[in-house]
Amino acid sequence: MTEAFIYDALRTPRGDGKPTGALYEIRPIQLLQITLQSLQKRHKLDTALIDDVLIGCVSPTDDQGSNLAKAAVMYAGWDLSVGGMTINRFCASGLEAVNLAAMKVRSGWDSLIVAGGVESMSRVPMGSDMGPLLYDPEVIQTINYIPQGVSADLIATRDGFSRSDLDEYAHQSYERVRKARSENRFSQSLVPIYDQNGLLILEEDELLHPNTGLSELAALAPAFAEYGDWGFDHMARIQYPEVARVIPMHTAGNSSRMVDGAALVLVGNKEQGSAAGLKARARIRSAATVSVEPTIMLTGSVPAARKALERAGMTAGDIDLWECNEAFASAVLHFQRAMNVPNDRLNVNGGAIALGHPLGATGAMQIGTMLDELERQDLSTGLVTLCVGGGMGVATIIERV
Amino acid sequence: MIYYQKDIHNIVTLTLDMKGRNMNVINHEIREAFVPVLRHLQEEKEKSALKGVILTSAKKTFLAGGDLEYLYQATDSTEIFAFAEEMKAFLRELERPGVPVVAAINGSAIGAGFELALACHHRIAVDQSVIKLGLPEVEIGLIPGGGGIIRLMWLLGIERAFAILKSGRRYSPKEALQNGIIDELATSEKEMMQLARQWLLSNQEGRRPWDQKNAEIPKGTARDQATAQVIRRLTANLARDTHPALPAPRSILKVLAEGSKVDFDTACRIESRYYTQLVRSQQCKNMIKAFWFDANYIKEGKNRPSGYGKFRPRKIGVIGAGLMGSGIALACLLNGMDVVLKDVSKLIAERGREFVEARLKERVARGVINEDQRAEILSRIKTTEDSSDFTSCDLVIEAVFENRMVKQKVTREAEDYLDDFSFFATNTISIPITRLAEATRRPEHYVGLHFFHPADEIPLVEIVKGAQTSPETIARAFDFVRAIRKTPIIVKDDWGFFAARVRNTYILEGITMLQEGYSPALIENLGIQAGMPIGALSLADELGLNMVMRYEKQAAEHYGPKYIQHPAVNVLNVMLEEVDRPGIKKRAGFYDYPVEDAPILWTDIAEHFPVKTRRNIPTEELMNRFLTAQVLEAIWCMQERVIHSIPAANLGSIYGWGFPAFRGGVIQYILDRGVDAFTRNCQRLRKKHGQRFQVPSKMKQILAEDHMATEKA
Repeated sequence: MTEAFIYDALRTPRGDGKPTGALYEIRPIQLLQITLQSLQKRHKLDTALIDDVLIGCVSPTDDQGSNLAKAAVMYAGWDLSVGGMTINRFCASGLEAVNLAAMKVRSGWDSLIVAGGVESMSRVPMGSDMGPLLYDPEVIQTINYIPQGVSADLIATRDGFSRSDLDEYAHQSYERVRKARSENRFSQSLVPIYDQNGLLILEEDELLHPNTGLSELAALAPAFAEYGDWGFDHMARIQYPEVARVIPMHTAGNSSRMVDGAALVLVGNKEQGSAAGLKARARIRSAATVSVEPTIMLTGSVPAARKALERAGMTAGDIDLWECNEAFASAVLHFQRAMNVPNDRLNVNGGAIALGHPLGATGAMQIGTMLDELERQDLSTGLVTLCVGGGMGVATIIERV
Repeated sequence: MIYYQKDIHNIVTLTLDMKGRNMNVINHEIREAFVPVLRHLQEEKEKSALKGVILTSAKKTFLAGGDLEYLYQATDSTEIFAFAEEMKAFLRELERPGVPVVAAINGSAIGAGFELALACHHRIAVDQSVIKLGLPEVEIGLIPGGGGIIRLMWLLGIERAFAILKSGRRYSPKEALQNGIIDELATSEKEMMQLARQWLLSNQEGRRPWDQKNAEIPKGTARDQATAQVIRRLTANLARDTHPALPAPRSILKVLAEGSKVDFDTACRIESRYYTQLVRSQQCKNMIKAFWFDANYIKEGKNRPSGYGKFRPRKIGVIGAGLMGSGIALACLLNGMDVVLKDVSKLIAERGREFVEARLKERVARGVINEDQRAEILSRIKTTEDSSDFTSCDLVIEAVFENRMVKQKVTREAEDYLDDFSFFATNTISIPITRLAEATRRPEHYVGLHFFHPADEIPLVEIVKGAQTSPETIARAFDFVRAIRKTPIIVKDDWGFFAARVRNTYILEGITMLQEGYSPALIENLGIQAGMPIGALSLADELGLNMVMRYEKQAAEHYGPKYIQHPAVNVLNVMLEEVDRPGIKKRAGFYDYPVEDAPILWTDIAEHFPVKTRRNIPTEELMNRFLTAQVLEAIWCMQERVIHSIPAANLGSIYGWGFPAFRGGVIQYILDRGVDAFTRNCQRLRKKHGQRFQVPSKMKQILAEDHMATEKA
C-alpha cells in the first residue's frame, strides 16, 4: 500500500485567547494565510502539486465561517487548483485533518495534502457556533451532556486523583515548557506573526502566567464549581450513580488555556514528495477514532491509542514518546495510568496546560512538537492522542524515516 | 502655545495659539505642549476643582491637518506606526473619562485637526460657511490615523461613517451638524462659548460611548448579519466606483469592518497598521505630490508671469447660456463675483439663471449654504440680450458654440462696451486663439480660457496664450482662475492645447488595438483597469470621431512630412467614411446609442475589425500602452513648451481628463515607474509598435526640473 509521509510541520505562536492577547487583532484567515505562505516559502513549494488543504476548526462560524480552509488557500495566493475543506472533530480536528490526509494519500487518490487547524478563541469564543449539544435542552437532557470541566472533575473524582495530583501534573507542564523554550526546542517550527508592514506582532508563545509555583496553583479557585452548582453534577450522577459528589478540582491553572493559533502538516506520498523536492521526516503508521460514554467524555484517548497500536501491529512498549493533549490534568493522568506510560516519555515538552489549546489547531501542533522532539532525541516512534467532546478519542502513530 | 484660563465655575478654557504660524497644526510640538496641561487637568479633577474643559483656538483655523512634508518622505514602518500610535495615545488621554472636554470650533478643523475635535466629548461650531470641517485624507490616498475612522464609526455606524470618509468632503458647520459629526451650532463665537459652558454645567462625567459598558456601535458590527451584508455591498461598490490601485477607500472599509469586531483600542491599532501601509505606499506619495506639492506650486503662482499686481475680478460677463456658460457663471457667483449672462435673447439667457438656481437649491438641501446665502448669490446674476450690459465688467468670457465666425462676432459686439482695464476670454477647444484674436481690437487683451465640462465642478482651466496675448493678460487670467478656486495651467496655442492633445493619444491607442484584433470590450475594460475613467472607444464617441481625426491631422500638419501617421487613422477612416459612424452625436460610433437604453458596443464591429484568436492576451502590455502613450505625448508637450511645468502637466492630466491620480499625474508616472524602467519599456514598445513610443530627446532634462521629485529606487 502507498505510504503517507510527513514532510514538514509548522505552527504559529499561541497568543492569549482574550481581547488583550497579542493575536486578537489578527483574523484567523490571516493566521492560516501567514502559515501557508511560510510553508510555501520554506520549501519553495510549487503549490500546484498540492491536491487539497484540510483545516480543522471547532467553531467554524463568524471569522472562521464559510469554509475557512478554501478561503485561506485563495487568500494566501496558492494555485487555483488547490482545494480546501474545513472539518470539525472538536478538539482533535487538527489531528483528524492529518489522519484524513494520510487516508487520502494511502488510498492513492491524492498525493500531496496540507493538513492542519486553526482557532482564534479570542475572536470566535468556544460555543460561538451554538449548536444543540450545548444549547438544546431536549438534547442535553436526553444524553446527559455536561460541560467538559465537570467531566474532567468527574474523572478525577472517580479515579481518585487529588487536587494536588492535578496541580503537580500542571506544575510539571509549566516547568517542561520553560525548559523547552530555554533550549529553543520550539523555534524551528514557529512561524512568527508580522503585520502588513512587516512589524512583528508575536514571535513566541505568549506565556501567560509567570507564577505557576505549586503554592500559587493550589491557591486558585475551582473553575467549574459553578456549573456543578447549576445542576450539571446531578446530571453526571444520573449517569454515574455510584459517585457521591463530583469534587471540583480543575482550575484555570491545571486546565488548558484558551489561545489563538494555527498549525500545518504537509503529508504526501513518496513520488509527489520527490517531485516537490521534499524530504520525508516521518511516516504515519496508523490512525484511529473511537468514542466512549459522553458524560465522562474525556477518556476516549485510551481506546483510541489502543486501536491505533493494534492497527499498527504495535504494543505500548514500542512507542518512544507520547503526546496526550492536556485538555485537563485529569484526562492526561487517566490516560497515563490506563496505558502505563512512564512520566519521562509523556508530554516531555509540556502541553496545553502551559501553552494553551487552540482547539482546532492543537492536534496538528502536537504532531509538529512530537516530530521535532523525536528528531532531537533521535528516537523513532511517537503516539499523539486527544480526548474529544462527545466522548470521542483520536490517535495517530508516527515513525521517523 | 496653549493658554489656560479658569473661571468661577471651575471650567477651564484652553486656547490654542501656535507661535510663528498663521494656523494651528497637529504636530509633535503641540502634543508635547499638551502633556503638562493634561496632567494638570487630571490633578485638578482629583481635587474636584474642575468641571470641564473648553478647547478653542485663537486663530482663524481651529486646527489644520497633519504634516504632509513629513508623510511624503516617511518610509520606515516602525517610525510611521509609532507616529500614529503616539497621536492616538494623546487623543485617548484627552478623552479620558472624568474630564469632559468641549471642542469650541471657531475655525476650520481638517484632517488630524478634526480628529482632535472628534476626540472631545462634545463639539460646537460657529455657523459660518467659511468654516470647513472634515476628514479629507482620502483625497491624498490616505486615511485618518488618529482614531478618526473608529470614532466616526462609533458615533454614526459603519455605513454613514464610510460614506463620509470615502467622500473626503469638507463640510460647513451646518452640513456637519446634519451629518452628525458635530453636536451643536452657535450663531457667534460668544454664543459658542456660552453653549460650551452650559453643556459642561449640565453634563459632568464625559465618557465616550466606547468607554461605556454595554454601549454598542450604531446599527451593529460586521458580526451582525444585516451589517455584514451592508459591508458586502460596499465592497462591491468599491469595485464599481474606484480603481483597485486607489487604496484609501478600500482601507477605510477594511478598518471599519475589522475595527467593528474588536474593542476600541484594538480597532485603533488596526487603523494605525493600515495607515502605516498607506503612508508607505507609492500611490499615496504620488497623490501627496500632485494634490499638495504640485498644487501648492501652482497656487504660489510659479507659472504666473511676474511683475503684475494681483487682479481681483469683481464683475464677469459670460456670453452663451448653454451648459458651459451657465457653469462658468455659477463658478463665478459662488466665489463672490457679479455675473452678466448674455445670450441671443433674454429668454434664452434666463435658462442660465434657472441652471444656477437649480444648483444652488441642491446646495441649500445639502446644507452647504443657507437660504439667505442662496438669495444673495442669485441676486448677483443679471441676464441680458444686450452687450451694453457688459459695461464695467472686468472680464468677458465667451462660451458660444465652436464656430469661428460666431465667436468673432460676439467678441466684437462685447468689445464695444469694455474699457481698457478689462480683458476678453474665449472658451474654445479647437479653434486657434491667435486666429480668433484677429477679429479683436485688442488682441493683447484676448486670451483663451478652456473650461472643462461641467465647468462649475472640474477644478481645471487651461489658459491659452495667443500670439499677441500680453503677459499681463495671462497674469490676470491666472488670478481670475485662482479666484474661482480652480487650477490654472498655461498652455500654448497649438492644436488641442495640452489636455485634449494628450488625451487624444489614449483614444488613438485604443482605436489602434481594435485594428490589431483585440475585442472592443477588452479595450474598454483594460482602459478602465489601467486607471482611466472611461474606455478609449467610449471617449472617442463622446468627443466625436471627426474631432479625434482633426487633432491627428493637426498634428500631422504641425510636424510636416517627417510625421508618421498614427495607425489609428485607418480605423477612423473606415468609421467616418465607409460606415458613417462618427460618434455619439449621430447615435452611432463604436457604440450604438439607443434612445431609451444604455449604450452598447456596436454589434457589427467585428465584421470590420475582426477579433484575432490569441492564446494569451497581453493585458499588462495593453494597459501599459494606454498610459505610456499619454505620458510620452505629455513629455513632447513639455519639450515643445506647450505646457511649462511638471506640476501643471500632472494636475492638468488628473483634473483635465482623469489620468489616474494614484500615479500622480502624467509626468509623475515616469518617476513612479522609475526613469530607466520607463525608458526600457518605451524602447520595447517602440520596437513592437512603432515610432510613437520613441522617448523624446529631452525627457531627462525635463524631469530634472521637477521641484519635488522622488524617484523610486
